[in-house]
Amino acid sequence: MSARDLAGEPEQATVYVVDDDRSVRDALADLLASVGLDVRCFGSTQELLRTGVADTPGCLVLDVRMPGQSGLDFQRQMAGLGIERPVIFITGHGDIAMSVKAMKNGAIEFLTKPFNDQELLDAIQQGIDADRSRRCEARALAELRERWKSLSRGEQEVMRLVVQGLLNKQIAAHLSVSEITVKVRRGHVMRKMQADSLADLVRLSDRLQLDPELH
Amino acid sequence: MKNPSRSSWVARPRMRAAAIAALLVGIFVFDTGTNLEIAGAVFYVVVILLAIGLLSTRGVVALAAFCVLLTLVSFALTPSGARGAGLANSAISIAAIGITAYLGVKRAAAEAAAYEARSQLVRMARMTNLGAFTASIAHEVNQPLAAVVTSANASLRWLDQDPPNLDRARRSVDRIIADANRASAVIARLRGLARREPPRRERINLNEVIAEAVTLARQELGRNGISLQLDLATDVPPVLADRIQMQQVLGNLLLNAIEAMEAVPVARRGLEVRSFQEGSGRVAFAVEDSGVGLPAEMQAHLFEAFWTTKPGGMGMGLAICQSIVESHGGHIAAAPRLRGGAVFQVSLPAEEVRHERA
Repeated sequence: MSARDLAGEPEQATVYVVDDDRSVRDALADLLASVGLDVRCFGSTQELLRTGVADTPGCLVLDVRMPGQSGLDFQRQMAGLGIERPVIFITGHGDIAMSVKAMKNGAIEFLTKPFNDQELLDAIQQGIDADRSRRCEARALAELRERWKSLSRGEQEVMRLVVQGLLNKQIAAHLSVSEITVKVRRGHVMRKMQADSLADLVRLSDRLQLDPELH
Repeated sequence: MKNPSRSSWVARPRMRAAAIAALLVGIFVFDTGTNLEIAGAVFYVVVILLAIGLLSTRGVVALAAFCVLLTLVSFALTPSGARGAGLANSAISIAAIGITAYLGVKRAAAEAAAYEARSQLVRMARMTNLGAFTASIAHEVNQPLAAVVTSANASLRWLDQDPPNLDRARRSVDRIIADANRASAVIARLRGLARREPPRRERINLNEVIAEAVTLARQELGRNGISLQLDLATDVPPVLADRIQMQQVLGNLLLNAIEAMEAVPVARRGLEVRSFQEGSGRVAFAVEDSGVGLPAEMQAHLFEAFWTTKPGGMGMGLAICQSIVESHGGHIAAAPRLRGGAVFQVSLPAEEVRHERA
């Protein structure tokens, strides 16, 4: 989380272009620069991996056919490499099977060279927006996880039972503590989790349940 | 029939037919003339074996039936010997004829299927190579074109800014020029490759080129049961030409001729290659086949690129032949042959004439 982000300004997005053809690369960099986008160009996926991807929103524009590793192969490996960025494919000779494969793997767009500049820019914008919301979501979840971790063990137990719909009396019996203790812990849970209501707490707990790190 | 070791027989179908007729008569006379105890009719299996590959399946079956008939006639006509032994011998002979015909026809069919599969494979490999080649060229040209389009769009966007960013727009245009030149260079390289510019010009004897090309095609001719006749004039003057390209032309014409004869019966397949002097200092060669021939509507398109009558064909062979021949100052023509089939004739200026003109 950057300081600028906390101030509410959108972070500068970066577009990573990988194409083995220098002319195409330079032209793409020029086009993206003309609309004010931050661009980084690479001749191969290996080159991109050496430099790495910054922790800012962005998307990837990948050529399908490249010596070394093809864009499609790279797309499949990206999750394993910890690069979660939307992908837009550009190719000189797109066939249907190839584009189906790419789209199935979650590509935003599959464009055949020479492509319409507006289509590419729209796809890139869509990719950046998608990445922004993904990052936003990830941040919110991380924050929620922090709140959960700030609860004491007893408070976590109370919260688990509260969101199951149990009454204070039932929870007290369940945990073999007094009803007063349950009420106190319940108050702490509501405050620490920043929940306005029981419904809110249930919703937050649902989101935490989805988080595999807590299991 | 498809076996190269039997190609000497295959190449002379008329001789084989004559041998079959002679054997039929000989065996019949022998079988009828000898005692019933002597099973002369068993030798009809030789006739059947000879006929397999020469005749169609139906022909072989008909011949086998005819042999069975002859066996029975011989049995009836043979004057001396024990009838019981004769009956047994005739039955054995008939069984042998039937089994030989059945197994022979089955084997021939299996061989034909294997051959068909193989030629399909060769055709596919050829197509795949061409396909890969085309895709690679397309990629080479498309990359700079894609860059040109993208740079042009970028340039427009720089100009549309307020105020217009003329410096960046100019840089985009500079890149457009460089990339367009690059695309053009790819095309120029390709053209050089197709024409192999400049072609080598050496004094060559067309008869030698013909002999070389025919040697290369001999295997294919044998496999297809095509008889070959070479009629080369001894006094042809040399021509100034690219030997490899001339071989390509001949190879293409021979291959086309072989393919044109696939649909006619083996007995009627004949190829003739001639060379001769053609008036006013020109040398010519002709490839004549007894294939399916050239309908009038085909003749108009023969030399057009991408025009083909062959399933899976590219339609490039004759177009390339024409461009090679014309780059040598010659011309190529096709005509139907009087006895069925087609004649392709190439005529080239003889070397002396070119020399005088130069």
